[in-house]
Amino acid sequence: MENLSWGLSMTAVGMGLVFAMLALLWGLLTLVLRLDRPADTVAAPQDAVAPVSTDGAPNDNVAPEVIAAITIATLAHVSARRREAAPMMRSYWPGSTLFASRWVATGRARQNRTWQRRGR
Amino acid sequence: MDGKGSEHLATLREMRSRAILGGGQKRIEQQHARGKLTARERLALLLDEGSFQEFGTLATHHVSEFGLEHHRYPGDGIVTGFGKINGRRVAVFAQDFTVLGGSFSEVQAQKICRIQDLALESGIPLIGLNDSGGARIQEGVRSLAAYGEVFVRNVMASGVIPQISLIMGPCAGGAVYSPALTDFVIMAGASFMFLTGPDVIKAVTGEEVTALALGGADVHMGRSGVAHLAADTEVEGIGTVKRLLSYLPQNNNEDPPQVTPHDPPNRMDEALNSLIPVDENQPYDIRDAIAMVFDHESFLEIQPAFAPNAVVGFARLDGYSVGVVANQPAYMSGALNIDASDKIARFIRICDAFNIPIVTFIDCPGFLPGTDQEYGGVIRHGAKIIYAYCEATVPKISLVTRKAMGGAYVAMSSKQMRTDLAFAWPTGQIAVMGAEPAVRVLYRQDVQAAADPDAKERELVAYYRERFFNPYRAADVGQIDEVIEPRETRPRLVRALEVLRTKVQQNPPKKHGLVPL
Repeated sequence: MENLSWGLSMTAVGMGLVFAMLALLWGLLTLVLRLDRPADTVAAPQDAVAPVSTDGAPNDNVAPEVIAAITIATLAHVSARRREAAPMMRSYWPGSTLFASRWVATGRARQNRTWQRRGR
Repeated sequence: MDGKGSEHLATLREMRSRAILGGGQKRIEQQHARGKLTARERLALLLDEGSFQEFGTLATHHVSEFGLEHHRYPGDGIVTGFGKINGRRVAVFAQDFTVLGGSFSEVQAQKICRIQDLALESGIPLIGLNDSGGARIQEGVRSLAAYGEVFVRNVMASGVIPQISLIMGPCAGGAVYSPALTDFVIMAGASFMFLTGPDVIKAVTGEEVTALALGGADVHMGRSGVAHLAADTEVEGIGTVKRLLSYLPQNNNEDPPQVTPHDPPNRMDEALNSLIPVDENQPYDIRDAIAMVFDHESFLEIQPAFAPNAVVGFARLDGYSVGVVANQPAYMSGALNIDASDKIARFIRICDAFNIPIVTFIDCPGFLPGTDQEYGGVIRHGAKIIYAYCEATVPKISLVTRKAMGGAYVAMSSKQMRTDLAFAWPTGQIAVMGAEPAVRVLYRQDVQAAADPDAKERELVAYYRERFFNPYRAADVGQIDEVIEPRETRPRLVRALEVLRTKVQQNPPKKHGLVPL
């Protein structure tokens, strides 16, 4: 009987200790997570948004016509550069062999080989 | 550097300054007054900023006859060197009209030949800006012999590196042959090209004609087919060179630059499904189909005014350069004639030389009948198309949009002529000849014997149409690989070319073929 009570008390102490440690660990993890959260997500998103102008005038005092003209000029410039295959529009640099597989390179070499009579 | 060294530098700088002025400030002002730019101004517009490195700046002639000893100008009327166009290395020469009218001299030839040799060895495109009154008469046969030196290099470089000529002023006599030997001739501003000028023509034939009416851009774009592109101004002409170059590779071993695609490869334009009119004799503009199938605004038409019954040009498909050949039903029903045959054959050979896949749109009722055509040798000229297609080893895709009749069907990239993939729209009509003539040949006696010959003929024509005027019989016997909805054309072509991009085909070894010239 004495052994039984000793066993039960030891079980209670052991389990209590384990649960106490688990609770402590949980508390620590929660604390770490709270401390590690990025600052911008802590603040309410609504607070970060600047007030939007409602009078229709651009913030930097540029007339809409000017903005439209700049946009059209930029698009026209990009279009012209694309038509001329300007560097920023190309997928590889001229002279690069990236486009060619070994199959193509060997094939082209064969195609361009000059025919010459042999044995002279 | 000081002392003697600084003197040397001062001498060099002074000589360079003289060279930059060409024929002098007065001549430059005269050139500007004519609305023309100087050679160096043109090169500055053509090449990337700061990329030009000149050679032969200080070369002058050694002729002392006819007072030429008093007219020695550094550079001798031509500016040659290397530069970059949109980052691509190119070799350039520009004739300087301010120096003795840009007249072609022995020294000019030496400078051009030097740049031609270097361009060929380096495998880079060669661009020539021509503005010359012709051979330098004072040099006699030396200037004539010099032409030959240039011509032989033009020919050696042909098909190896792209050669583009931009005519920006007079180009007369023997000088016309160098541009004519290059791959593309672009005429800008009030330029003109002719073998014999108005004065000689008047003296020999009594015919009076102006220089522009004899050899202006309109003449060579619309009638002679000598020029491939034209521009109203010099600046536009230079822009055209840049655009044309974007479709061409550096040399025949490389591929043209691929532009990052901006048009979805799977885009299907519903308007294509209703492009072909219900009435089969109703014309439509094949350029509409080209605009809808290829990348947005990528089509650059070559020789748009010459033989308008055929349309050729460069376009992009998923960013890759392709050559487009098409019949134009809106002009002469798209029938092939002598000029169209020459135009198509030459373009196919350019594409083949520079590894540019060819897509052919076919809507052709046949070769144009008539004595003019037969006497003019339409057989020989039409054979050029067949020769060019058969010889070409680049990927070739054909698409029958409507009529593909008789010999024209065979000539226009038919399946048996080494075409890789043959597509047809449901509106395709692939037959030996039109329904009415076919019925007259096949059923003449039946029609004559019938109680109502007209009704019998109508009945037989309807039967013939039902049997042959569709693409399904051709698909049945394997002459068409796939009948597709018109709107599917773009994705089908993109995927087909994706597969064929690594196509390699070799022709039998030979010295050269015998094109029916």
